Amino acid sequence: MDATTGELILEWKPRRRHSRISRLFDWKPFLVALCMLPTAGLLLIFLTYPLGLGLWLSLTDTTIGQPGEYIGLDNFTSLFSDPVFWGAVWYTIFYTAVATVGKFLLGLWLALLLNHHIPFKAFIRAIVLLPWIVPTVLSAIAWWWIYDPQFSIVSFVLVDVLHWRSHYIDFLGSPWSARWSLIVANIWRGIPFVAITLLAGLQTISPSLYEAALLDGASSWQKFRRITVPLLMPILSVALTLSVLFTFSDFQLVYAITRGGPFNSTHLMATLAFQRAIPGSQLGEGAAIAVSMIPFLLVATLVCFFGVGRRKWQQGSDND
Amino acid sequence: MTEALAANQEVQVAASLKDAPELLSWDSRARRVITVYIPLAIFIIVLLFPFYWMAITSIKPDYEMYNYKQFNPFWVHSPTLANIRKLLFDTEYPRWLMITMGVATAATFISVGASVLAAYAIERLRFQHAQHIGLAIYLAYLVPPTILFIPLATLIFQFGLFDSPLALVLTYPTFLIPFCTWLLIGYFKSIPYELEECALIDGASRLQILRRITLPLAVPGLISAGIFAFTLSWNEFIYALAFIQSTERKTVPVAILTELVTGDVYQWGSLMAGSLLGSVPVAIIYSFFVEYYVSSMTGAVKE
Amino acid sequence: MAGLTRRDTLLSGTAALIGAATLPLIGAHAADLDVPTADVKSPDFKAESGATLRVLRPAKFVDPDEVLFRANTKKFSDQTGIPVRVDFVGWEDVQPQTAVAANTGAGPDIIIGFGSAPQIYANKLIQMNDLAEYLGAKYGGWHQLAQIYSCRWGTQDWLAIPMGGSGGASVYRVSWLKEAGYDSIPNDHAGFLEMATKLKKNNHPIGFALGHAVGDGNGFANWLLWSFGASLTDEKGKVSLDSKETIAALNYARELYPQMIEGTLSWGDPSNNKAFAAGDISLTFNGVSIYYVAKNSSDPKLQAIAADTNHQVPPLGMAKKSPSSSLVVNAMAFRHTKYPNACKEYLRFMMEAPQYAPWLAGCLGYWSNSLKAYGKMAFWDADPKLKPYIDSMDTPYYDSYKGPISAASSAVAANYTLVDMFASVATGNATPEAAVKTAARQAARYLKG
Repeated sequence: MDATTGELILEWKPRRRHSRISRLFDWKPFLVALCMLPTAGLLLIFLTYPLGLGLWLSLTDTTIGQPGEYIGLDNFTSLFSDPVFWGAVWYTIFYTAVATVGKFLLGLWLALLLNHHIPFKAFIRAIVLLPWIVPTVLSAIAWWWIYDPQFSIVSFVLVDVLHWRSHYIDFLGSPWSARWSLIVANIWRGIPFVAITLLAGLQTISPSLYEAALLDGASSWQKFRRITVPLLMPILSVALTLSVLFTFSDFQLVYAITRGGPFNSTHLMATLAFQRAIPGSQLGEGAAIAVSMIPFLLVATLVCFFGVGRRKWQQGSDND
Repeated sequence: MTEALAANQEVQVAASLKDAPELLSWDSRARRVITVYIPLAIFIIVLLFPFYWMAITSIKPDYEMYNYKQFNPFWVHSPTLANIRKLLFDTEYPRWLMITMGVATAATFISVGASVLAAYAIERLRFQHAQHIGLAIYLAYLVPPTILFIPLATLIFQFGLFDSPLALVLTYPTFLIPFCTWLLIGYFKSIPYELEECALIDGASRLQILRRITLPLAVPGLISAGIFAFTLSWNEFIYALAFIQSTERKTVPVAILTELVTGDVYQWGSLMAGSLLGSVPVAIIYSFFVEYYVSSMTGAVKE
Repeated sequence: MAGLTRRDTLLSGTAALIGAATLPLIGAHAADLDVPTADVKSPDFKAESGATLRVLRPAKFVDPDEVLFRANTKKFSDQTGIPVRVDFVGWEDVQPQTAVAANTGAGPDIIIGFGSAPQIYANKLIQMNDLAEYLGAKYGGWHQLAQIYSCRWGTQDWLAIPMGGSGGASVYRVSWLKEAGYDSIPNDHAGFLEMATKLKKNNHPIGFALGHAVGDGNGFANWLLWSFGASLTDEKGKVSLDSKETIAALNYARELYPQMIEGTLSWGDPSNNKAFAAGDISLTFNGVSIYYVAKNSSDPKLQAIAADTNHQVPPLGMAKKSPSSSLVVNAMAFRHTKYPNACKEYLRFMMEAPQYAPWLAGCLGYWSNSLKAYGKMAFWDADPKLKPYIDSMDTPYYDSYKGPISAASSAVAANYTLVDMFASVATGNATPEAAVKTAARQAARYLKG
């Protein structure tokens, strides 16, 4: 709508000199093409094309050494009867859901804390980001040590310092504790991103709104509920969508810490796909697992984006 | 634990010194300590503990690492620089660092540049099917790298880019552009369209508007997209593993694991030193940008 | 230079290498490295003119591994004028990188890969019959495991040159076994269990990886299986897991597990190294790395542990030969190379005594020889504790025993099917009967026999 009005105006009031080139640059189809060119080029060549190959792979019985033949949906039907695959699907969803909720609750809390006037503000904000900066494989190795059955520092504190327990905790030794341990490590890694992004959102909220609310005698909870949360929604929806994406396709953390063990209880779809495709050399099957991630990702992120994001338009902040 | 406590106290002391002239009542100050400083201190301790662990491990001699009974694991009894020396002089660590920096910077600039144009076109030029194209770009992000890297490798070979950092510079944008674009679309939305309309009425060209009005207002968005893209490139593992073979062209995460894990023997000290040293320069850059990112955003939106 | 093993060549070669690298080379003398050879005419591989080679191999175990490998390669370049560049990649990164090279038909000319790789990439490799036969004839023949892994299944066609294997043995603390009343590890299951019980009572438990550990986890699972006479598949590659032998092995695992240190379910490959070095366990299966690291440590405590450490071939149980396999490294020359003869010449050079002997000796038992003659070097006597590793490759057992090695069989290993089967029974999460059915079903997804 606005675009057409804009153009009408443009044709209606041509004030400055219009050389042919500048007119070309104002010709919308050309401008659009120009703007889309780098993105489209990079994505088509390095993503769409290999993706097509990947999709094709998932319909073949290719192994690493041999070109495969088209086998239709055999890979998928065989996966659907594989309990390990369903275990991975289930854990991926659980992992994403729990870790995302954890990240957002803690991240929001941290953002609210950082929004206070505190000494060394800039410094604290920077160091809080550290978990997000360090390459995941490497921080995962540190976590692996923290979860070690014999050399865990957490166990050391509980057993040898505080004497609260008599045995070292076997964090990764049983399915459920391994699952939770990985989720904790993932939340740890994700908090900084959420916190800093939400902090940026918080700072856009005008203090005058809070002052007005204070005059009306609103409690802090009411202020949080009625001012902070709604105004954070737009940025929250973006952060949430991205966070769900990252968590759902997480690979490095699980790969470095448990490799899906014990008894395949902590496999994520991405790690299972890798394990079957590369060390297991079943490229076709690995590709099929990776492909079956796509619908889940699609649903998850669309829910986040539209479920949370729609409120933004309801605010009427934009004439969209 | 003792340091953590000390740090906590330090924060509190510093805080109380600063608050003193503000004539706060004791009650509200105690409240502030409980609601702000204590949780904040806990957050910082938890978030930073693994780094503390990395830091002390990197200066621990090997025999202290597994001997908790004799040596308190929270402290280093006879610190050594051997691990760090090994990392810096016996491996090509400085070089890996430069490569990683170079790749991450280049990939970030390419991605942010491409995304700005794409996001601007989708959000502001509002051509037909803009929404669909936006959705398509977004869907591109859903493709997991685990499925892409083998077909991509074929392509990289055909282009003669195998074993060249350029391969990474060109492939990283595939997962950077989609979300940079989405981030920027969001930011462009928050910039009032009226500003552009006025400029259009004044006869400015679209590109002038983009350069003079929209971009300056979108700086926080650009920076956050940049930070984001940089971090993801810095952390990337699978592509760097698959496309680079020469030791001296590897990126830090891949190189550290390759060079410092020998079979089933992990050289913990150097491994940790490597991860830590790799993060410090980035952390410094970030500490500069984060402030800019947060504060400039406030300014931009108020206008 | 045609295959001479004169002492003077060796001397100067070794001396130069040692001088170049200041190795902890266990004071090996040239005489220690003397290798008995047969007089066989060297096949004449005429390297293509203008040849250059790229070699990819797994990261070093120990410094001498890389230093000597590079030194030998440099010697080759100096003598032939063929530039060779060697890249080292992490252990688990060899597989993806080989996959990329094989599928794209470009990349390194020679890849030194693990175990089943030659079978998986069979159609992309240059046949090595001439070279392998020459080396075999000259150096007393190949060990059984070398043939199993490197020959095209069921034939005598060599797909790769096996360079060595990293074997597993029982690594144990002499004094703690003595304390429990043992001078050596019992070879039968009942005796082994009894010893484990006593060790646990003395607070020096044993420990074996039951987690998703590529080397140690599969190694332990295979030991259980093979020492009970069970196998994953029959000779034709049909899954034969569901047998009474497997059930017996599972029951045994359930009895052994409580005698192990806690937490082995989450052990990765480095975990037993750490636990042994910390003095938390008295016995595990491993390569020589635990001993090597302790022995070369500057810490007197670790040195004391090394002095108190000894090795023994894993308990045989019902097997006739050591029921453990080796991690075999095979040098594969890919068909996409432009210089096949240069590849062969390079591999020939690396496998000849003047190069191979110092390399093997420098690695201190990390790699064991694939050619029988290299087991006769006097160097092996320098440290009797290394003896159990000498003949690591003299065994009929391999991953996916007894069926053919294939992409399918390596998929079963990569999915930790056997490890998970034992782990679930050991911890009481499944009955032996249920676990074996699940595992057989998982395996049969790939092994259609």
